[in-house]
Amino acid sequence: MPYISFKKKYSYGIFTYYHVEYINNFVSNFNYKVTKSIMKIEKKRYQKYTYLLKGFVILVVITLISHLFRDSLDIINIGLIHIIPVVIVAIHGNMKATIFITFLSVIFFNFLYIPPLYSFSVHNELYLWSFIIFAIVGWIITVQAKNLHMQTKQNELRESLLHIISHDLRTPLSTIHGTINLVLSNENMNANDRRSLLEDINYASLRMERLITNLLDSARLHSHDIDLKYEWCDFEDILGVVLKDFSQTQHDELLDIKIDDLGLYWGDNTLLTQLITNLLDNALKYSNDGSKIKLQIIYFNNFIKIEIFNKSEHIDKTKLKNIFDKFYRLEDTNDISGSGIGLAICKSIVKLHNGDIKAIAKNDGISIEVELPITKRLNLI
Amino acid sequence: MNELIQIIEDDISVKKLLEIALKEYKFRSISCENKKSAMMLFLTHNPSLLIVDLGLPDGDGKEFIKQIREISKIPIIVVSARHDEKEIIDALDIGADDYITKPFSINELLARLRVALRRNTHDEKILDKIICTDIELNIASRDIFFKAEKLKLTPIEYELLKYFLLNTNKTLTHKQILKEVWGIGYQNEMQYLRTYVNTLRKKIEENSTRPTYIKTESGIGYRFSCHKD
Repeated sequence: MPYISFKKKYSYGIFTYYHVEYINNFVSNFNYKVTKSIMKIEKKRYQKYTYLLKGFVILVVITLISHLFRDSLDIINIGLIHIIPVVIVAIHGNMKATIFITFLSVIFFNFLYIPPLYSFSVHNELYLWSFIIFAIVGWIITVQAKNLHMQTKQNELRESLLHIISHDLRTPLSTIHGTINLVLSNENMNANDRRSLLEDINYASLRMERLITNLLDSARLHSHDIDLKYEWCDFEDILGVVLKDFSQTQHDELLDIKIDDLGLYWGDNTLLTQLITNLLDNALKYSNDGSKIKLQIIYFNNFIKIEIFNKSEHIDKTKLKNIFDKFYRLEDTNDISGSGIGLAICKSIVKLHNGDIKAIAKNDGISIEVELPITKRLNLI
Repeated sequence: MNELIQIIEDDISVKKLLEIALKEYKFRSISCENKKSAMMLFLTHNPSLLIVDLGLPDGDGKEFIKQIREISKIPIIVVSARHDEKEIIDALDIGADDYITKPFSINELLARLRVALRRNTHDEKILDKIICTDIELNIASRDIFFKAEKLKLTPIEYELLKYFLLNTNKTLTHKQILKEVWGIGYQNEMQYLRTYVNTLRKKIEENSTRPTYIKTESGIGYRFSCHKD
């Protein structure tokens, strides 16, 4: 017997060790990421002013040099080097900044070098063309730079997506892996322990499945040529399907459901099911322990309102705006699994039905309200 | 119980899981990985039930089901990936008895397997009375009782409930129900089915968002659940 208990303890030890190590890794990783991203933001803010300043300084320097060597430099060359500050600012992809520096550059050039000197008037029309060319060069470079920025941004998003996916998939996977090892190495484990460990595995695998479904849906919803499969939907039926996936007894006590005796709604049944699943999943994940979740589906004249409320710690209003952005998560909830992909999908589904979704802070909690317009009414013969 | 179950599944780990589970629950099993050998095995071993994966290396599992249905009424349970709703509906419409999606729980599969086997043995009997927990249907008098009280049903509600009671614990596609209850030509009139299921639930379910009888198989159809054991 002592041997068994030793072995058991040892195995549990490994189990926790894996987890502690994993959590530690994750926390330090996360802290590092946060500091890095804050530094990045600060740096970006700082940069926003420096490149304009840089452009301006270069412009002044160029003007001075041109002034000194005016006789040896022809007016064409002076004009050409006055494009340099425009190029330098334009590569940052900010159209306003480009216009500003182009304007300055043209003024300097015009005032100091284009006859009549030291005046803003222009005698030869040809010089007006030079100014337009300044603007065109600036515009082209800015547009190109903007495209490039967008690509980098998308790459960053893709990277963070990969990071989130691998983390969120790995968390339940590590539970499964660790627990299975524990069960395998412990042949004499009592039935209750074994059962509870197996339930952990089951729960972890369900979480993985839901995440994968969400990822696939997200990819589907974001490929732009999606066709909705419209049919007559019964929200009561949809709710029944959704609740089947949340069938643990503790959930029933938490849910306070009110649903109007509605007719059928013309929409995409699968997507609407996904919408309610994600809303409910989200509310359950972020609500205070043991507090009730209210779900209401109300019929109005021209639209259906779905309202789901969960109690939660106070939430910043500015953060609520971002709550539907892809992979956005309220920062202080990182211990809760889920990638924030759920609400992003909700938004896509609601938008596809031409509806509206918003998050409102009220009564010590978050209320997510969805309005779906009624586009077709049913006439049963 | 010692029925012989034939497994047609090309994924080795799923096949192994099925074999072990069936053995554990005292079924005998034979298995194969493709359509060709499946037909051979079926003809030589005469199994009592088929478990068919829809995605087989040498062709569609549906083709195989079609071939089998031409020669036999043997119960068929289809195994498929979750997103293949259309595949599942097609398989059910051409004669599969039930389906289960991957990843599946073994308990669920065994439950469906037992129901399919039981239904097959009862198939030939003509019943005059069907009882399902609190619901009792008297076919001759066209009366349905719920908790010993006669239910007031419209003719269509009666036909729908009767069809459900005649096919308990079986997945019925929307199309099948519409065709059987409303008639040919109504296969795509989903709004009728949804409306009548909703009103029927109000009459026989205690909580219509947690139905115990009429269960929705999302995107596929309905299953009338009846647990005698």
